[in-house]
Amino acid sequence: MTDFLASYDNVISLVLLNGILGIAAYLLLIVNRFSLATGGLMAIGAYVSVLSTQNLGLPFALALLLGGATAAVIALLLGLPVLRIEGDYFALVTLAFTEIVRIIALNWESVTGGALGIVGIPTETQTWHLALALTVLAGAVYITRRSWIGRVIDAIRLDEMLAQAIGIDAARIRLILFVVSGAICGVAGGLAGHLNFFIGPSDFGMTRSVDAVVYAVLGGLNSIFGPIVGALIYTVLPEALRFSAQAREIVLSLVIILAVLFMPRGLISLGGVLRGSFRPGSRKPAPLSLHEKGVPAE
Amino acid sequence: MTVFLQQTFNGLSIGSAYAVFAVGFTLLFGVLNVLNLAQGAIFMVGAFTGLELIKLINLPLPLAFVAGVLIAGVISVLTHLLVFGPLKRRGGTRWMGFIASLAVAKLLVGIAQELFGTQVLRYPSEPWMDASWTIGDVRIQGLQLVVIATALVLMLALAFFLRRTQSGRAIRTMAFNPNVARLVGVPVDRMTLITYFIAGCLAGAAGIQLGILYNAVSPFMGETILLKGLTVLILGGLGHVPGAALAGVLLGLTEVYSVSYLSSSLRDAIGFGLVFLILLVRPHGLFGTNTRQRA
Repeated sequence: MTDFLASYDNVISLVLLNGILGIAAYLLLIVNRFSLATGGLMAIGAYVSVLSTQNLGLPFALALLLGGATAAVIALLLGLPVLRIEGDYFALVTLAFTEIVRIIALNWESVTGGALGIVGIPTETQTWHLALALTVLAGAVYITRRSWIGRVIDAIRLDEMLAQAIGIDAARIRLILFVVSGAICGVAGGLAGHLNFFIGPSDFGMTRSVDAVVYAVLGGLNSIFGPIVGALIYTVLPEALRFSAQAREIVLSLVIILAVLFMPRGLISLGGVLRGSFRPGSRKPAPLSLHEKGVPAE
Repeated sequence: MTVFLQQTFNGLSIGSAYAVFAVGFTLLFGVLNVLNLAQGAIFMVGAFTGLELIKLINLPLPLAFVAGVLIAGVISVLTHLLVFGPLKRRGGTRWMGFIASLAVAKLLVGIAQELFGTQVLRYPSEPWMDASWTIGDVRIQGLQLVVIATALVLMLALAFFLRRTQSGRAIRTMAFNPNVARLVGVPVDRMTLITYFIAGCLAGAAGIQLGILYNAVSPFMGETILLKGLTVLILGGLGHVPGAALAGVLLGLTEVYSVSYLSSSLRDAIGFGLVFLILLVRPHGLFGTNTRQRA
């Protein structure tokens, strides 16, 4: 068992880290915002925390907090003007943010080391740090979603106009979620930065952001376990397919296409369907009318 | 001044290829309301098909161009028939479609890697490509002229199709409102296929144009153009075809100016900076009109 854990340590760390990022994306998807800012905020957290352990000699925990706080402040400044933008435009404006952060990291050589990145970072992050972070995060989100805040979020997701009519300040809730998600990305960035000796601008580009959304959507948005299951499958599958290095990409993308086709509401939806049939009278999961607004008939 | 004119011409040739790509991209968005991230991979498929046809069966470049464009269109239709169409019928959310298009892109890139390897390939050079004229102090390459001309022809053909033919009008009705289109008897399924075909053709055409202009064809060439396409999409207003054409040319010009007057590392920052600022001021893009009057 220990051997097994040792040889797959890296994969396990990745799964846990990606689970955290998946939850960060999930927190915005449940209020109908498709954020691609994950990579940019993560980069900010990573650079701030790595620079503060390396140059300022701060302890690891404090550096993580500092990274998370900086990312949260940037998320607040970014979210204030940007969150009123809707739909695909929001996805694209947050993508622009991520790319701008990447380009700054690439060109600000005196601080970030440019394209070569920062090397020789002490590997402070242990697997149990990541496991603890993911557990605490998932627990907190689970409890919050069960509380009145969860019902407010559901109201916004299902019909924003109606939610506002009954006195919910959707913009404020969304901003809070964006800042929380930013803080999570920042801490995750700090954890990722101290995981592999090295960080560079290309670690935190469009792919990072898109992948985070993929974990959440692929896993399913009905439950907090969606993003975690999504991250697990999407991270482990490429490793499991390593035996055929050649066709790996092809098989991986085929598996995802099939998963999307046969479970169009996410992998977790399978569990939901099964449970629903076992417990008669149990509340059906709220219909996911995510963004399927279309043009209203006039 | 010479530098300025020279760069303007270079920018125009690159920009017109961007415009071809972006117009297909924005057409798909405007008509079907999907942000299809597989467009970049179709672009790559076009470039490789053209190149392989030249290398394998010695097709002359113009014929290879036409064949590559058509095959890219067919592949685009296949992605709809096999993935996006079924997904929509099964009630996949919009975001699932986004993921499916990413997976399709990965699949096509994976297949290209299998077939052609990962090294950068080049189109064989032909005499007319390198022919150049000097007007004033500006050097004009035959290749650049041809790229601009094909882009113009494609744009005009598309404009004619959308404005003057029955199918074009049907597609524009769908862009206006799919429910209305169905009510007035537009064969929505067939028109969807045609839209995918046109978008694929345009992506393939841009792939061959840029593959020759940059003298580089690789499985990963779709990623850069996808980012540029997204930039142009915003600058032009999502779903706004003339806007995309204009914004594509503008992006090409901005890129060459920023390289020659500022710094090459700023090239990409300017595009994204513009996107960011424009969306802050106008949340529906530069020429964007909130869902009304698309295509």
